[in-house]
Amino acid sequence: MSAATVVLAAAKADFLERVRRYSFLFTLGLALYFGYMATVGRLTLRIGDSRGIYNSAWIGGLLAVVGSTFISLAGFYFVKNTLQRDNETRVGEILAATPISRFTYILGKFTSNFAVLASMIGTLALSSVVMQLVSGEDLHIHLWKLLSPFLLLSLPAMTVVAALAIVFETIPFLHGGFGNVVYFFMWTAILTAPILGNSALYDLGGLFILRRSIVASGAAPLAENSFSLSIDSGQFKAASIFRWEGIPWTAEVLFSRLLLCAVALLLCVIAAALFDRFDPARGYRALRASPTPALPVIVSIPTAPPAPATKLSPLVTRAQSFRFTAVLAAELRLMLKGQRWWWYSVAAGLVLAQALVSKPDSRGMVLAFAWIWPILLWSSMGMRELRYQTHQILFAAPHPLARQLPAVWLAGVLLAVVTGSGFALRLLLEKNLPGLFAWAVGALFIPSAALCLGVWSSSSKPFEILYTLLWYIGPMHAMASFDFMGSSPATAATLYPQIYLAFTAILFAMAVAGRKRQLLL
Amino acid sequence: MKLSIHSLSKKYSGNVWGLLDLNLELKPGVLGLLGPNGAGKSTLMRILATVTRPSSGSIHWNDLDMLSSPDPLRAVLGYLPQDFGVYPHLTAHEFLAYLAAVKGLDGPAASRRIEELLSVVNLSDARNRPLGGFSGGMRQRVGIAQALLNDPQLLVVDEPTAGLDPEERVRFRNLLSELSGERIVILSTHIVSDVEAVATDIAILSHGRLLSHASPEALLASINGKVWEVLLPSSDLPALRQRHLVSSVAHRTDGVHARVVADSAPFPNSSPLEPSLEDAYLATIAAGRTTQAGASA
Repeated sequence: MSAATVVLAAAKADFLERVRRYSFLFTLGLALYFGYMATVGRLTLRIGDSRGIYNSAWIGGLLAVVGSTFISLAGFYFVKNTLQRDNETRVGEILAATPISRFTYILGKFTSNFAVLASMIGTLALSSVVMQLVSGEDLHIHLWKLLSPFLLLSLPAMTVVAALAIVFETIPFLHGGFGNVVYFFMWTAILTAPILGNSALYDLGGLFILRRSIVASGAAPLAENSFSLSIDSGQFKAASIFRWEGIPWTAEVLFSRLLLCAVALLLCVIAAALFDRFDPARGYRALRASPTPALPVIVSIPTAPPAPATKLSPLVTRAQSFRFTAVLAAELRLMLKGQRWWWYSVAAGLVLAQALVSKPDSRGMVLAFAWIWPILLWSSMGMRELRYQTHQILFAAPHPLARQLPAVWLAGVLLAVVTGSGFALRLLLEKNLPGLFAWAVGALFIPSAALCLGVWSSSSKPFEILYTLLWYIGPMHAMASFDFMGSSPATAATLYPQIYLAFTAILFAMAVAGRKRQLLL
Repeated sequence: MKLSIHSLSKKYSGNVWGLLDLNLELKPGVLGLLGPNGAGKSTLMRILATVTRPSSGSIHWNDLDMLSSPDPLRAVLGYLPQDFGVYPHLTAHEFLAYLAAVKGLDGPAASRRIEELLSVVNLSDARNRPLGGFSGGMRQRVGIAQALLNDPQLLVVDEPTAGLDPEERVRFRNLLSELSGERIVILSTHIVSDVEAVATDIAILSHGRLLSHASPEALLASINGKVWEVLLPSSDLPALRQRHLVSSVAHRTDGVHARVVADSAPFPNSSPLEPSLEDAYLATIAAGRTTQAGASA
């Protein structure tokens, strides 16, 4: 059997396994949502206050860039689980015992990742036809102008995203939640790279190529720096509309896109070199098995010779009164278990900085960093039981809803309170009660969101992604409507803390409902 | 102490019945639950452990409806699932301490109990090692220990000896025998010899239905005089298998010695044998299959 046949067989099996899961429908739904947003004029490409007429070239360009920009973020998180799935289902161990080479296996996984991302882009491409017809500004559908941006801008970008997802999965410290956070910042850096480098070579999403082409055509009013891809809460009303006939696919542009495919292939080679072939003694599986990488997997432990007879004395004091603090302490210990000294050092440093920094804006920024630091601890809330398959044992314990779940939540709140205590102390000393209220809402909101998303998704990923996004838009950019932690001094004076308190209550109630549902399954 | 199960059924999606109209009345002792793969054993175990809800039927623990109020049962329940996980970064001691807290055991009593259990499952020396580095058998022993944390009155153990070495299996059987006095133990397994060693009652399930619930003696009595040894050339073995229920074969120099379950001697030279529990189990499953085929026809 040729290597190509093996790659395709591996990719097909993986792809089918994915498309038969409900989450795949969600990915297609997300792509359709972007198409819908563009159709109703809430997702727009602008040159100053102008936009292009909705002809095939403009719609193709717009949706292709939307696809490669947003699907390169959301899509990455959707596909970054292919090796993990083979590990969790133990299919990996079976595959490891077959003659398949590491590169062939990785290539198969890359092809499957790409197929998933390409189907999202394909959905967006189909919606572009609908969008042109619905907008009604130019009903003449020019297929090449409409579809070529998807083919030549979006798909090459997806090859890189597909390969990056696999590289992240093969690097021990990037395969989990930390990698999810790292990719978010990497993605923001990738988007700004072509602007900084002023070259199509660095343009993953195709926005730079599109902008350069529009400016070069002379169709738009000359406002090169005001080019933007925007999401609006209402419909964008353009001051003027111009006609643009599409990207001229020059050799330079095609070369830059081909280069992306070459980069993807190179990333696959790197991933194959890093891939541990599901050997539990190598890679992240070994790291996960023990707190110290140097510790080998224990095959057998010398134990005392088994006693010929065993006798267990009766439990004299059966628990009469339940001690919530014992469960809370146990949950807190479980949450913090495995953290190294440097984790605590950074957390302590951030607490100290919150207390010492005198400028309120800067102090708010320190709080923002202090409350992103424990993200991986919060993201395990509500899903830990299913992830480690301890749920059957825990759910068979008395009052799992009234005892264990609140203890998990409170452990998360305590973590927020302690890691943000420097900020609270300053507010207390300044007698800034509205500020303290906004901070307290943040300390309640974060674990509530984590618990809710963890319980309903049984995965840490949704919280890691959404929280990072919210954190980036709100506290990092001082946008009051997204400042859920009251890091900006102005937030306390607004109604947003009350709104987030209401959200907190809803999220907690949803977490309880989700756990109740799990108990009744 | 009494566990009553009435008309219990569990329907999965796709019109698949995991359990169908199951009735059982249990008193202190060890119930060995036997059945082929997919018989519904784990479904029953999960329902009894309050982890899964049945589609219909009722379960009463000392006359208390455990489906509407499962918590009184949970307080006295020990459960070892067939597939369970551990937190890899916790040590055996820490993991048990965590579960003790969740089960409502207080500090000093929990500590004493954990130490004793670690000793009983032969893990005292490994108590401070992270569970992520444990072998399958060692994890299983941690599972056994957690099931016994609260000195349960109802102990539900699903395939408890899976992954244990022969020595540990014997050790666990001894423990189970010792525990069975004043509590109800439900032991689900494929291994008939495990049941033979400890069970005071045996229930046989197939296709979600209860085929038999009897004492080991009664089960053996049901096939008394129906087990035969047949000596034949190995080439005749396939034909014998087609006609009769063959529970085991042994190749010897004079031919194949086959152990056959049949109402009458299969051949004139067949010699009668003492029935074993495995013979009884296979005969019950075969009879159940025949009844079901008849009902379907």
